Amino acid sequence: MSDDRIDPMNLTAQLHYNAAGNPPSTLPESAISNAYPGLEFDIRNIWRRLLVGIELHESDNYVVSADRGHENLVGRRLLSVGDHDVIGTVVGPIRPGAGSAPLTSAANPDGVMMLEWSNSLADVLADHVGQTVPCLFTVDPAPNPVGKPEELPDPRFQVVELEVRPLFAGSAATGGYLPVIAEELAGPGDLTRGLCSPWQNDYRECACYYWAASRPDYVNVEDTAMGTTTGNHWFAVHREPREYVLDDRFDSRLVSYDDLFQDWQGKLRFIVGGNDAPEHLDAGTEPKGDSR
Amino acid sequence: MTTIKELRVLPPLAIGRLGAATEPMDNYTCEVDPEQPLAPRRLRPAPTFRVDPDSGAITGADTPDELRFTDGNGRVRPVAPFLEVWALTSDDVLQPLTLDLLSANDLTPDAVRWRVEVGNHKIQRRTYDDLDKIDADTGWFSDHAPHALMGRCPHFLDDRFLPLGHARYVKPTPEFPGIRLRFTPAAGYVYGSRRPTDDIEDDPNVVDYLYDAAKGTWRGHADRAGDPRLTIPANIYAGDDGPKGTWVSRGYLDDECDGLVRVQLEVGGQELTAFGRIGAGPPAYAPDSIPIRTIADELDQALHGPSASDQDTLEHARDVAEEVLRRATETVRLMNTEVMNGNTVDGRVDAASTMVRQDTADTGRLYEPIVAPSLVDSAAVLALHQNVLAALRSGTAPWFADVLRDHDEVGDLTAKGRRKMPALMRGADGRHLALTRRQVELVRLAARQEIFRQDDESGETR
Repeated sequence: MSDDRIDPMNLTAQLHYNAAGNPPSTLPESAISNAYPGLEFDIRNIWRRLLVGIELHESDNYVVSADRGHENLVGRRLLSVGDHDVIGTVVGPIRPGAGSAPLTSAANPDGVMMLEWSNSLADVLADHVGQTVPCLFTVDPAPNPVGKPEELPDPRFQVVELEVRPLFAGSAATGGYLPVIAEELAGPGDLTRGLCSPWQNDYRECACYYWAASRPDYVNVEDTAMGTTTGNHWFAVHREPREYVLDDRFDSRLVSYDDLFQDWQGKLRFIVGGNDAPEHLDAGTEPKGDSR
Repeated sequence: MTTIKELRVLPPLAIGRLGAATEPMDNYTCEVDPEQPLAPRRLRPAPTFRVDPDSGAITGADTPDELRFTDGNGRVRPVAPFLEVWALTSDDVLQPLTLDLLSANDLTPDAVRWRVEVGNHKIQRRTYDDLDKIDADTGWFSDHAPHALMGRCPHFLDDRFLPLGHARYVKPTPEFPGIRLRFTPAAGYVYGSRRPTDDIEDDPNVVDYLYDAAKGTWRGHADRAGDPRLTIPANIYAGDDGPKGTWVSRGYLDDECDGLVRVQLEVGGQELTAFGRIGAGPPAYAPDSIPIRTIADELDQALHGPSASDQDTLEHARDVAEEVLRRATETVRLMNTEVMNGNTVDGRVDAASTMVRQDTADTGRLYEPIVAPSLVDSAAVLALHQNVLAALRSGTAPWFADVLRDHDEVGDLTAKGRRKMPALMRGADGRHLALTRRQVELVRLAARQEIFRQDDESGETR
């Protein structure tokens, strides 16, 4: 075992505990949480059942199902919990030189968006577990985003009192929490259900690099005489010439969908220090073939 | 006598990583060079448990000479985490459950029982059909054999299952007396769908056909535009263009999963139980880098709340601030910032999927780069991060507190709003990334407290 003793109340130490023999890539700090939808987990799912009686969409303020007694909330939108809004406005310019204004559309006439649960419900979780809190819902089903009224009461909105569930399991011995997500919040399969099927598809489909520390974009980077840089796209089949091939799913210089489905293990390279790991260089510039 | 009062499984969330190599990934450490705090972290081989394939016992803990993430034959070495059982004892400490502690409670290792339940519910999430859930359950076991995680689904072809890896109760020995389970994830294969009556050629993309397309709707499924229950983003499955702009599923599935590891032990007539969580995802392809915002940050905020408290020392806040900056540097190092800024590159406008594109597509915002195109070459951006770290350390970066994006500013798509940090990245709500509120608060505390310290040292009043 890695350590001899831990203070049973020190939840941080338990959460970050690295068991003997485990590399750092087994730890939660190695997993991205800007989940859209995620890589290791779609961690947004842990918030769906925070309010007793309803199930929220993992990434929208939309009620997808409800227990008996709350069926009338299905299809409605949740706008605030206690004093905390779970939506925000979307503003910006639409023309060069123009000022900023709410960005509205036919599908989003109020120009609002849902704020991710992790941040928008953080106060609720900190202050109201086990208590009921006033939750503001639309009165009618609302498939599209809805803004919050300037004044309440408003006949288009209804306050419903709901209890806040603990996110973490409890300790019978200490009466406190354990650093493990409660079973009531997520069962087997819940933390990965929103990820791409298969995940290999998302590596090609998204072609966006918001997870560069896990799924690199720009590698083998070197300075140029111009004072700028050049390097390879991580998906480049060949590392020479050392140039960045702009993403294009039809460009044969880049790894394709079929490459990933059939042989992601042979096509993708580990990156250490920003460069291809030495084992890939040892093996030559061409990755070995089908791994199946 | 030290009596066992309660059990815990640590780590409470362990991540396995897929790979088809026979030998799991070796252990290593990932360390910051104190002399070069923004240089890539150093990976060093670390003592690695060798589990005897026959007995299930650990036979050694040697440190390999070098790290290799693949087996040299095109297969990735899976990351197979150990989960330990810890005991809260009558002396009110949490300590590892070992042979000695079991013995002190008149117990033997076979009194420990394990059960692993994992699921892959990706198909069900799209079709809403519970018969599309894929689940595996080892049942309770106390032996030291590998227990296959056989994912079963009512909509699979007869007698087929999805291999989701295996779990093994590592046999404790006097040399390695801890009670632990090892989760070895699956190989990372893609599987397909077919009807029993299909006379189709083999699809080279799949290793086998598991899903019965006559029983379920996954092959041919299309997310229905306008359905508010869809995943966000929607249409994230292997598919092909269909009629009326639909995206039609090929019926592929993978062998990722997540679930629970349960442990049970009867002590003095009382049944004690605990559980931890596991998951299986893709490899961390840049293992010396850490994402800016991680699941540990989410759980940390959920445990401690969004605000700093008396328990959060200035030293801790500084550590958090430096770590955030280090992680940002690691991301920038591996990101083509010129492209992600929305620059015109090689004559191509809108050259990639970026926040610039997403802002325009999702909201109608004016399409324009986020910061001045001339400023975003990777070398310049890296240098900027170096300068910020130096300023933070010298107490001359109070302004850094103001450039962080607040969680309720993610929809601020003004020019100034989009330039807040972290820049160029997408958050879990689809708009510009904000850190957790707790991260933001601690970074601000560090940045602002530096002024106080400087003032205090100079003897000036504020």
